[in-house]
Amino acid sequence: MTTILETQDVVVRFGVLQAVSKASIKVETGQVTGLIGPNGAGKTTCFNVITGLQEATSGKVMFDGKDITNKSPFKRARMGISRTFQKLEVFGSLSARENILVAAEQRRAWDKSGFDPTAVCDEILESTGLTSVSEFMVGTLPTGTARLVELARALASNPKVLLLDEPSSGLNEEETEGMARLLRRLVAQGLAVLLVEHDMSFVMGTCEYIHVLDFGSIIATGTPLEIQANPHVQAAYLGTETVEEAS
Amino acid sequence: MRIKFNAKFISAIVVGVILAFVINKNWGGATFLSAKNLSTFLVVGIALGGIYAITAGGLVVTYATTGIFNFAHAAIGCFLAFVYWQLSVKYHIPVLIAMAITLLVIAPAIGFLLDKVLMRRLRDASLVVQLMATVGLMLTFMGITLTVWSPKTARTLDHFYEQSKGVQIGSVIATWHRIITVVIALLVAVVLRWLLYRTRLGISMRAVVDSRSLAGLTGAKPSIISGSSWALGCMTAGLAGILIAPETGLVVENLALIIIVAAAAAAIAQLKSIPMAFVGGLIIGLSTSFSSTFLKFGTDWSYAGDAIPCIILFIALLFLPQARLETGKVRLTKRTERLTKPWEAGLGGFSMVLIVGLWANGWIPWFSGTNWGERSAVWLGRGAGFLVFGLIMLSLIPLIGWAGQVSFANYAIAGIGAVLFTHFGGQNGNPIGIVFVMLVCAPLGLAIALPALRLKGLYLALATMAFAEFTDKVIVRHPNMLNPSNSGVLYKPLHLFGVTISTDTADRKAFVMFLIITFALLFFMLEMLRRSRWARRWIAMSDSPAASATIGVNLTTSKMTVFMLSGAMAGFAGCMLGLQNGALRVDSFPMFAGLPIVLLLAVQGVRYPVAAFMGALGLASFPAITELLGNPSWLTQLALIGPGIAAIAMAYRPEGAVFYSGRDLAGILPWRKDAREEKALFIAKERAENIEKDEINDMGLSRAFTEDKVAQLDRVLSITDAVDETKMVNTGGQS
Repeated sequence: MTTILETQDVVVRFGVLQAVSKASIKVETGQVTGLIGPNGAGKTTCFNVITGLQEATSGKVMFDGKDITNKSPFKRARMGISRTFQKLEVFGSLSARENILVAAEQRRAWDKSGFDPTAVCDEILESTGLTSVSEFMVGTLPTGTARLVELARALASNPKVLLLDEPSSGLNEEETEGMARLLRRLVAQGLAVLLVEHDMSFVMGTCEYIHVLDFGSIIATGTPLEIQANPHVQAAYLGTETVEEAS
Repeated sequence: MRIKFNAKFISAIVVGVILAFVINKNWGGATFLSAKNLSTFLVVGIALGGIYAITAGGLVVTYATTGIFNFAHAAIGCFLAFVYWQLSVKYHIPVLIAMAITLLVIAPAIGFLLDKVLMRRLRDASLVVQLMATVGLMLTFMGITLTVWSPKTARTLDHFYEQSKGVQIGSVIATWHRIITVVIALLVAVVLRWLLYRTRLGISMRAVVDSRSLAGLTGAKPSIISGSSWALGCMTAGLAGILIAPETGLVVENLALIIIVAAAAAAIAQLKSIPMAFVGGLIIGLSTSFSSTFLKFGTDWSYAGDAIPCIILFIALLFLPQARLETGKVRLTKRTERLTKPWEAGLGGFSMVLIVGLWANGWIPWFSGTNWGERSAVWLGRGAGFLVFGLIMLSLIPLIGWAGQVSFANYAIAGIGAVLFTHFGGQNGNPIGIVFVMLVCAPLGLAIALPALRLKGLYLALATMAFAEFTDKVIVRHPNMLNPSNSGVLYKPLHLFGVTISTDTADRKAFVMFLIITFALLFFMLEMLRRSRWARRWIAMSDSPAASATIGVNLTTSKMTVFMLSGAMAGFAGCMLGLQNGALRVDSFPMFAGLPIVLLLAVQGVRYPVAAFMGALGLASFPAITELLGNPSWLTQLALIGPGIAAIAMAYRPEGAVFYSGRDLAGILPWRKDAREEKALFIAKERAENIEKDEINDMGLSRAFTEDKVAQLDRVLSITDAVDETKMVNTGGQS
């Protein structure tokens, strides 16, 4: 297993507020890495730093052995970093199919393997189970389905790393399980996934490795079992009840 | 960080060198260090800057507290200046009382009314709707002012203490008017600052921008807060209008144009800092005064002085920090539509040709001047004009409708295209010239947008409006572009595909037919483009810039392509505009003339190519209505007020008429079974919602719940097995 994505001592400051302080996260290929922490701990900010939407005050972002700290968001995407958003960022006035197609077509800008975007789009629609709603405008779809569209769109760029910001929010139990199955299948194909999530049973059931963020700092890293046993984490965030529920 | 600093540093040097060159080239020969010149410069500049500062300060206050940039700011000020004139000059009410009535009664009343009727609805609207509605408001206020106070009568507002001498400063006399102006400006600055930072109302006002609901927690009513913002905005606008009218003359266009000045100062303030807005106003005032005192522009650039605010706005844009890619701002509209199929687009285009063909041959009854089978030359000429405007509207669909880049410059680009066409073949009837014009206008469209590409959408709208003004004042007035003495025929008839295209009475019908056929072809092309990856990418970029970037879209180049396409289309429309005008004058392209085109397109629905056709019909409806009503004197400004009010109505119907009529009428088409089903579903859903709403309303939720009300509520909300044991009865009416 190799480290594909790494943040080194990333600091983000908004005025006097230190949103992220010296956060170092590692993401390995072929596994789901979790990033958890209470609200406002800086998880989404970390995502924004990795994808280039937020400039880091200091620190480095390494991807595939290269320093990408100063690269613009679209260049990082072209290198193979894809993401979804905590609050839906779908293209609401395009159909579900077009949402995915636009990403697949965009991939031709850097992926010269001569693939057919339409075929890729159909394949992803099929594998995410979106075929039946493909012609609907995304704005008319229920939130859970729209989230799936967002994920499908991220997959259409054929990323090496997939960053998912609370993928299970707005999903019902059945859909959440489907999401977990999908993630396991994706990592089995060699994708690396970094996951921000509040649903603890989902996190503990899917992630192989977890980083815990609190007040912008990483307070613990380890396997789900280690994290659950970690007293710092319990104190800062999980609370005994949630741990019991998760295990 | 270092790279950014360098880019700014380089632009600073470039701007500095250009300014030095312009100043050196146009130096009027006056000695800079003479006491007289220097004090003239300062006295005039500071007084003028004070007025600009007041209006810019007010604009920034409303923007900072409501999130809406009010393009009507200066037009409201203009209206209030006329009201003040009416009171003080016409009715001989003493100055102070007239001012008090105007600024303390009428201005706040307008502010509160605007807030209630319009602005509150705009808060959560898209940028396109916000811009269109406030630009519509600007045209409406201009139209109302022009209707009430006919521009045929000249009016003047006296300076304060016109008769007295003033104060000697150096070798210059500072009139009392100017001294009073400066004092008032300082007072306004202090009061605004104090109000926003030291009073409860002001702090609530600032909080409202960030979170409407949170601000409610401070105890102030959000409606009162936003109403106060608009009242304050109108008061400053009116004050500035009254102070500046004696300097510029009581002329609607001049006073409404101050919006460019205010926008430039607001850009310097980054739309948020009131002190910087005042500094910005002062910079513009001093620059204007500097140019009038020391510079003497040659006859080639005689109006360059008027363009100073535009130039300052452009420079300010260069130095603004790059906009962040924001997330969490996606708005999802429940639109049920599908892509137009090629044969449907073809049928649509054919229908347009058919309708206009029938009309041009007089086979559709029309208002006046025609017999059956014959269309009057006047109406044919107008028809050609509307179709040319329709072509300009088409050029805006990819730009505004798909890419979400609001530009007010396309009429100006078309104007430049028309002028260029006189050089490139229009004068000897060479159609190749059209291609040349399009090749020039494409990069021109891009160049205008360049300074604003990295900024948020509002700045683009400001920059393009400033460019339209700059075009009118500087570009087309240069003798190399249009010879002012040349008022004769500039264009030879164009022979294209066996058709003679000119504005001659005999050729007009052919011209109209040529225009509608090209229009239909472009319409078809756009419909096909909408199905392509280009349009998909533009729409994606507009719906969520952040998400587009994270799938690898280069936002900058993507925007550049759409600006070039739009510019080329506007250039083509410009050639037609020139041919339709026959001869151009230097004042053929005022900035305000381009606005109704954008507004009417938006009203019809800026995403849909068919809206350009409907928009052209909309333009045609205004002279038709006026004619139908027998050209009454109160309806002379319908061409301004009509689009204005229609655009204001977008606050209530943001998607555009084509969207709503499409939803309602698509089912009429025999092959649209899907639309019929969808509409049936929509109606059923709406009815169900209304029934529930009414039932809940009928219950009167302001009162305490009774047991049977709870049961009724459960039934309405379809809670069948209510297990909650807590009795929601007699809570003392706390709701």
